[in-house]
Amino acid sequence: MGFLNNYIYYIGAFGLILIGLYTILVKHNLIKVIVGLGILDTGVNLFLISVGYITKGTAPIFSRPGIDSEHMVDPVPQALVLTAIVIGVAVLALALSLAIRLYQHYGTLNLRKIREQRW
Amino acid sequence: MVNPVLLIAVPLGLAFAIPLFALFWKDAAKYIPPVALGFNLVVSLLLLPKVLENPIIVSVGGWQPPFSINLVAGPVGVLFSTIIALVGLLVSIYALDYIKEGATEKYHMLYLLLLTGATGVVLTGDIFNLFVFFEILCISSYALVAYLRDKAGIESAVKYLIQGAVGSSLLLIGIGLLYGQFGTLNMADIAEKIASASPISLFVPMVLLITGLGVEAAIFPLNAWLPDAHSSAPSSISAVLSGIAIEVGLYAVVRVIFTIFGASSILLFLALLGILTLLVGEMCAFSQNNIKRMLAYSSIGQIGLILFALAIATSYGVTGGLFQMVSHTLSKALLFLAAGYMIYRAGSLDISALEGMGRKMPLTCLAFTIGAFSLVGLPPFVGFASKFLIVRAALATKETLFVVLIGLALLGTVIEGAYFFRVVQVLYFKGEKPNPGRKEAPIIALVPMIILAVLIIVIGVYPRLITGVLNSAASELLNRVEYIRSVLG
Repeated sequence: MGFLNNYIYYIGAFGLILIGLYTILVKHNLIKVIVGLGILDTGVNLFLISVGYITKGTAPIFSRPGIDSEHMVDPVPQALVLTAIVIGVAVLALALSLAIRLYQHYGTLNLRKIREQRW
Repeated sequence: MVNPVLLIAVPLGLAFAIPLFALFWKDAAKYIPPVALGFNLVVSLLLLPKVLENPIIVSVGGWQPPFSINLVAGPVGVLFSTIIALVGLLVSIYALDYIKEGATEKYHMLYLLLLTGATGVVLTGDIFNLFVFFEILCISSYALVAYLRDKAGIESAVKYLIQGAVGSSLLLIGIGLLYGQFGTLNMADIAEKIASASPISLFVPMVLLITGLGVEAAIFPLNAWLPDAHSSAPSSISAVLSGIAIEVGLYAVVRVIFTIFGASSILLFLALLGILTLLVGEMCAFSQNNIKRMLAYSSIGQIGLILFALAIATSYGVTGGLFQMVSHTLSKALLFLAAGYMIYRAGSLDISALEGMGRKMPLTCLAFTIGAFSLVGLPPFVGFASKFLIVRAALATKETLFVVLIGLALLGTVIEGAYFFRVVQVLYFKGEKPNPGRKEAPIIALVPMIILAVLIIVIGVYPRLITGVLNSAASELLNRVEYIRSVLG
């Protein structure tokens, strides 16, 4: 069980990433694909957080008494995740607004039926 | 001394100020991008002679690298920022008249953001910062592809967005893995520490980074979005996407391979991939009837050639690759700009609809012809000089494989010649309709085209104008020890 305890966050993160990729690759409905993008984003963010996490760690605030630096988590990945969340929100919002337009043009969200552009 | 931060800060600030200005004066929106990019062009040209001697390292926030986010204005960065500002300025002048419909202030804001993202990618020295600027570039280009809101534009934007978003996620995982191993995001710092890591643990992040960036760079199996996106966007946006966005993607790939990983074992694979991209792109372009799709496929072919040249990884090869990037940017921007008004006047995207355009719009067609000849590689245009350098570099390696590959690349050039000459023939020698009278593109659109055409000829006749910069840029890319030393001191 030691393995599971040590790597549970990584397992969870890559599980989410794979679920997201599967959804994007296999599903025909654009909304489901966008949901897949959201899950993929969440997985990546969880992965970044777990890179900097230490067991029973806490926020790295030096002015707070009673905390030594050994129990502080790495703040850099958290800053990265804040940025990545914002970027993810922007992409998802744009994707959903494009989905509305796509539905207005084609009357369907099934990506297999929308194939006017091809090689 | 001018601070390179201004190259990013000024356009970024002005981009977000556009909606505010547009509240008071609607036309202000379209005049801000030329001002911002003109400023960038001047600053880049001022910086260029200085960075040729010593790269300028800016640490944002006052912390020294590796702790701060830093900008590295070396020869490569400033060379690219000059090209981005130059082509961006010309295209924004063209767009003053070309973009009339829709929410124009949003167009101009996104356009400026796209170019800010591109400038940021080439100047940054921090790999997460590179990701952020890359996303600025990508998100604004997704939105701009859908700008016309027609069927084709929306469909291509959705495709582009899904593939681009997956690519960015892979890139971010790669960055996370690198940070987990080395505890730093500074590219020079990672490059320094990478020698002590085991090759196995580097393989996965390298593949993730190259795949993630390769989507935007349109390397062969990852480029399904490109022909759709580049052909359904407004022509001014196609010019920037083809001329700048994919080049910036390729720059990022090359920076990751040469500077961060110093990986020489993957170069052969990339050379093969480049030739494959070239042949696939040219053959698809040959069978197109839609002129913008033809130009888009031709961009795929050119990217393949550039990737091949860079993968030779000798001084000649990298110089040739960078030169080809410059010549492709100038020529393809010119081609898309000229095609934009030809399509507008003809009312159709079909090549056959352009019959007799040579008499109807002589200057636009002349510009298109110059761009086409330059891309094919005819002297005295700039494409000849760059392709010549690449051929010389491939022959100078004296390896059978590279000689065979450059033979295939020349075969690709022959195909390229075939379809471009076909269009030129349609423009001038087909269609015996009575002369419908001249209807030239407006003067404000002709000026950027003429400037681009003149640049193509001048650099083609005097390649020495830029070979000095290209040589130092190539040595910055190849000499990673020097890069690490100049950043970390």
